[in-house]
Amino acid sequence: MRTLSYLLRESWVNMRTNRTTTMVAILTTAFTLACVGIFLLLYVNLRAAAGWLQDDIKIMVYLDDRLGSDSVAEVEQQLRGDRAVASLLFISKEQALGEFKAQFPSESHLLEGLGQNPLPASFVVALSPSFRSPDAVKRWAERVRQVAGVSKVDYNQDWIDALATVIRSIELVAIGIGVILSAAAVTIIANTIRLTLFARRDEIAILRLIGATTSFIRIPYLLEGAVLGALGSALSLVMLKFMYELFRQQMRTTGRFAGLENLMTFFPPSICLALIAVGLGLGFAGSFVSIRRFGEAKA
Amino acid sequence: MIQLIHVSKQYDQRPALSDVTLEIGKGEFVLLMGPSGAGKSTLLRMLIRAERPDEGQIFVHQKNVTTLKPSDIPYLRRKVGTVFQDFRLLPKKSVFENVALPLLVQGISSADIRRKVTEALRAVGVEHKRDQLPAGLSTGEQQRVCIARAIVNGPVVLLADEPTGNLDPALTAEIIELFKLINARGTTVVVATHDPLVMAQVNRRVLTLSQGRLLPEHRGLA
Repeated sequence: MRTLSYLLRESWVNMRTNRTTTMVAILTTAFTLACVGIFLLLYVNLRAAAGWLQDDIKIMVYLDDRLGSDSVAEVEQQLRGDRAVASLLFISKEQALGEFKAQFPSESHLLEGLGQNPLPASFVVALSPSFRSPDAVKRWAERVRQVAGVSKVDYNQDWIDALATVIRSIELVAIGIGVILSAAAVTIIANTIRLTLFARRDEIAILRLIGATTSFIRIPYLLEGAVLGALGSALSLVMLKFMYELFRQQMRTTGRFAGLENLMTFFPPSICLALIAVGLGLGFAGSFVSIRRFGEAKA
Repeated sequence: MIQLIHVSKQYDQRPALSDVTLEIGKGEFVLLMGPSGAGKSTLLRMLIRAERPDEGQIFVHQKNVTTLKPSDIPYLRRKVGTVFQDFRLLPKKSVFENVALPLLVQGISSADIRRKVTEALRAVGVEHKRDQLPAGLSTGEQQRVCIARAIVNGPVVLLADEPTGNLDPALTAEIIELFKLINARGTTVVVATHDPLVMAQVNRRVLTLSQGRLLPEHRGLA
């Protein structure tokens, strides 16, 4: 207990003695991790957005114009029997025309000139959650296209594919930047600890001579690195949260992307804790690297 | 207690110790004499495995120091107290904290630390300075604190490297008396010095090193 309190006190004394270095290390670590955090936040939000879009996906199954009512009923029966289908809504040719007129009143004269209703009857299909992934939707649409009486199957595949590509790219960029900037954070903390080790090299030499074990000598510096990393990470989250709220505020006041600000999410508490733990780990690693290189701490 | 068998060490082709064989028994008080560069400090550093010989074997308290695993070195050093010419006290820690350090690294309880540190400070006569920082002490007092730190563990061997190098003759006599007292309590004491004043005060076994070689033994003059 006495030893533990001594080691904690030594870590605290180290940080207090090198106050400026400690502050600079925490701030630079915070800025570095905040850069990683921005990509992570973007990634989390885009994934969530992709999830909503995927959940909201409606597939239009257009029917052949020559199809009689019996055949329509057959197609409906077949679709209803499909375990991928969650719900089904039939839109007759007349309903489709009505909707068109309601949505585009100024263009309705275009259809009147044709003499007959050119809009096909269709089914609006919502798929079960387990069939909503881009690949599953694609497979289902291809299968239904083969059904007799179906002329066309339509859904916003391009949009979903594009979003998936963007998400994958951001994921890769986030991983790349995350790795590079994490290495930078480790280096920053390693240098801070190296300065501390250098400043206290005489003390370390004395501790070695009076019989301190390697771990006794190392623990205060490892603790210091871990605390620097955790504080840097916590500060980066505070900075991110501030930027996030500012961004939402801007969206609200300018009125751009109205309503989208309510769909945006910040990291949940569990992820925040995990990120602080990551910072702690990076700090520990930085400290470990320094101690290994310094060599003085070796018994 | 201490045994060196054909020990040799070189630094950059220059011999620091050449084929040294010696034995120091339990409870002995030995002076290790010789001019600067004779190999005295190298020999003492080897006894606590701060250096390794190029050849030969070293035994301290029945342990072969030469083959000791790195993780066992701290445990050897806890049995061997060391006193330095430059005291090597931590400037930002009080006298009490400096002396408590060897006990702290062993995880000894607070109550035992208080008792042992008080005893050690009393034994060297600086108990009243316990709360001061080293900078506020005279050189003689600083050396006493350094000795207190070396004996607070109750070591089996006390090594002192030029302990009177920074002291005037009166203080030298006081420190030598202190070593005699510590020795009288059963601790083996080895004092490395080039100071003839020390030899004049100690009528004990004298080992002399010259250019890394051990010369024939004699006794001190006191």
